[in-house]
Amino acid sequence: MVRKDLVSELRTRETVVSMFLFVVLAMIVFHYAFTVPAGGRLSLLTGGMLWVVFVFGALLGLNRSFAHEKDEGCLDGLLLCPVDRVTIFLAKMTANLVFLGLIQLVAVPLFALLFAPGRIVSHLPVFVVLTALADLGISALGTLLATVSMNTRARDLLLPIVFLPLVIPLLIAAASGTSAVLAGGAGFGALLGRLAFLLVYDGVFLVLAYGTYDLAIGE
Amino acid sequence: MESASTAATKVMARPTTPKLATTTAILAAAGALLTVGLAVGFWVAPTDASTLGFSQKIFYVHAPLGETALLAFGVAFVAALLYLRRGDDRYDRLGVAAVRLGLLFGLLVMITGVIYDRAAWGVWWDWEPRLTTFLIVCLLYSAYFVLRGAVEDESRRATYAALFAVVAFVDVPITFFSIRLLPAGMHPVVIGPSGSGMDYRDFIAFAAGLAGMTLLFVGLLRLELGIEALREELRELKHRLGR
Amino acid sequence: MRRDDQAPVGDGHAAVIEPEIRVEGLAKAFGRREVLRDVSFTVARGGFLTLFGPNGAGKTTTLRLVATLLRPSAGSVSVAGYDLKDDPTPVRRAIGVISHDPLLYRDLTAQENLRFYADMYGVEDAARRIGDLLERVELGHRRHDVVSAFSKGMLQRLAIARALLHKPRVLLLDEPHSGLDAHAVDILDGLLGEIRAEHTFVMATHSLRRGLELADQVMILDAGRVVFRQAGRPAEADFAAIYREHVREGALA
Repeated sequence: MVRKDLVSELRTRETVVSMFLFVVLAMIVFHYAFTVPAGGRLSLLTGGMLWVVFVFGALLGLNRSFAHEKDEGCLDGLLLCPVDRVTIFLAKMTANLVFLGLIQLVAVPLFALLFAPGRIVSHLPVFVVLTALADLGISALGTLLATVSMNTRARDLLLPIVFLPLVIPLLIAAASGTSAVLAGGAGFGALLGRLAFLLVYDGVFLVLAYGTYDLAIGE
Repeated sequence: MESASTAATKVMARPTTPKLATTTAILAAAGALLTVGLAVGFWVAPTDASTLGFSQKIFYVHAPLGETALLAFGVAFVAALLYLRRGDDRYDRLGVAAVRLGLLFGLLVMITGVIYDRAAWGVWWDWEPRLTTFLIVCLLYSAYFVLRGAVEDESRRATYAALFAVVAFVDVPITFFSIRLLPAGMHPVVIGPSGSGMDYRDFIAFAAGLAGMTLLFVGLLRLELGIEALREELRELKHRLGR
Repeated sequence: MRRDDQAPVGDGHAAVIEPEIRVEGLAKAFGRREVLRDVSFTVARGGFLTLFGPNGAGKTTTLRLVATLLRPSAGSVSVAGYDLKDDPTPVRRAIGVISHDPLLYRDLTAQENLRFYADMYGVEDAARRIGDLLERVELGHRRHDVVSAFSKGMLQRLAIARALLHKPRVLLLDEPHSGLDAHAVDILDGLLGEIRAEHTFVMATHSLRRGLELADQVMILDAGRVVFRQAGRPAEADFAAIYREHVREGALA
């Protein structure tokens, strides 16, 4: 499974680059789109902004996650291998997770530079945990849905439509949590509820994916 | 290959009357209950003491609609699970009908909800948990139909739709709780009518409305399934004749 | 659940040897469209079954079903003693597939492609096996070249290497000669001849001559049904007649 990841990453330099470019461009666009007077109110927006950017960036990556297999017809090659279907899911999910993480690694400092002061730094642990949990949810749900949508007619269009409504709860938790961090610097205590929620969310969707993936990818 | 007349006779000979009769009975009962409920609610029950006044009555339609919509999605959820388990097409049809009705009821919930909120708080839309959840839920189940439309392979369509129905239903409570979590803007979460406790007449109105709406749902569901079954038979006929 | 192979007992009466491939009552429908109906056949270990039939008869579907890529609507399939429904994983380990799709990743080199599949299949001593196979398909000199640059013939040769990588007991070939140039066809035929004895084969093809060359059992599919099945290898001329007799339309190449 891990080897499969390595292979995926090796070739998809293109995916990561696209995602990164998108995220950076989006942030610049947001900067010009929201001319808010300097002051406290901005921090409420920026948490959400960051996560909107991440979610849409993730969508880009997710769309591509099966693109190679689908476009080049080697999905069969993958299915023929003596590996559990669930393993394929986990591998793809991990790959997506890594891509998202990489993007965020570069985007967040950039974001801090462009917009918010260094509040994130002072509360790094919370922020990292929050982000990690949210990323997991996005990747799990996204990979499951991408598997389904890759077999459909309007491949790239369908994924956002099915993905976004389902990811709203996650978005709420992550965005509000991030805003809280940016605004007043909330610690683990304050964000505990959100973290717990994200944990539950992740758990639910991982279980769902585990139970249904066989059907989603097979024929 | 059967001759056209034999096939046609076979299909038409199948008894459809008993089913139809039951369905009509159910719908009639639903109609009766709803009328009673609404009548009680609007004329007999006391006008709400708080600022809502008469417009609070809308609630008697709004709440049952809400519960029934959720019921419909629950039915779709169970149907989806059964389909994934057993692969019987009937469950797929049940699922589609349930989602369609759920969506219909859901939209009505939104409309009545907006009216109710306007009466209660003077704003058309307030992002309060209940209605926002329903908005998201409606979008979600609309995506269900988009998904169905996008799947080319017939054999997979039902599987994917069922998958989505399962995921979507699980997401409903999650969505609701996540919105309540969000501290931004305190909304009084309205589940029941405001005011000091429920008058027994209110309760009758409410209960009647709920029962009536549920029966309405069941009746409509049966109707839809009946129509779908007929369509299926027609397709079968055409298929047999076409060969 | 594995049904054990039993070797012939010394005192003269052979115990039952489980066929390498057993297909019983196989049916497949896509939604309402029935593609296969009541297909049954067996292939003994070391046997070579060739599937003939017009386009759309269900040859590819049959192969995909045996390859675990599709789920049967009805019927059962067992390969190497493992039932497909219960134990798909060992079945996958025992099968190698060559179809008109090379099933290779374009952005990777030949070696990387084989490396990937070797890893996925858990092939022992992978580096050496990859090297050997690459030599065998005469692609050793191109091992570090990205696959997108390969010709169709080279792709197919690499696909053969991929299929043989994990030493499968059974090889499923779906019109492997289609679209190949003469040189590639020669290599393919040569290879098939070489490995004939070590594997069990099922091949679907349009080519009469190639199909009959190595076969020890032939079968004709038409409109999803088995319309003819016979052990042994008929002569070309005879078979052409048989084919015309059983199939409603079209003739073989």
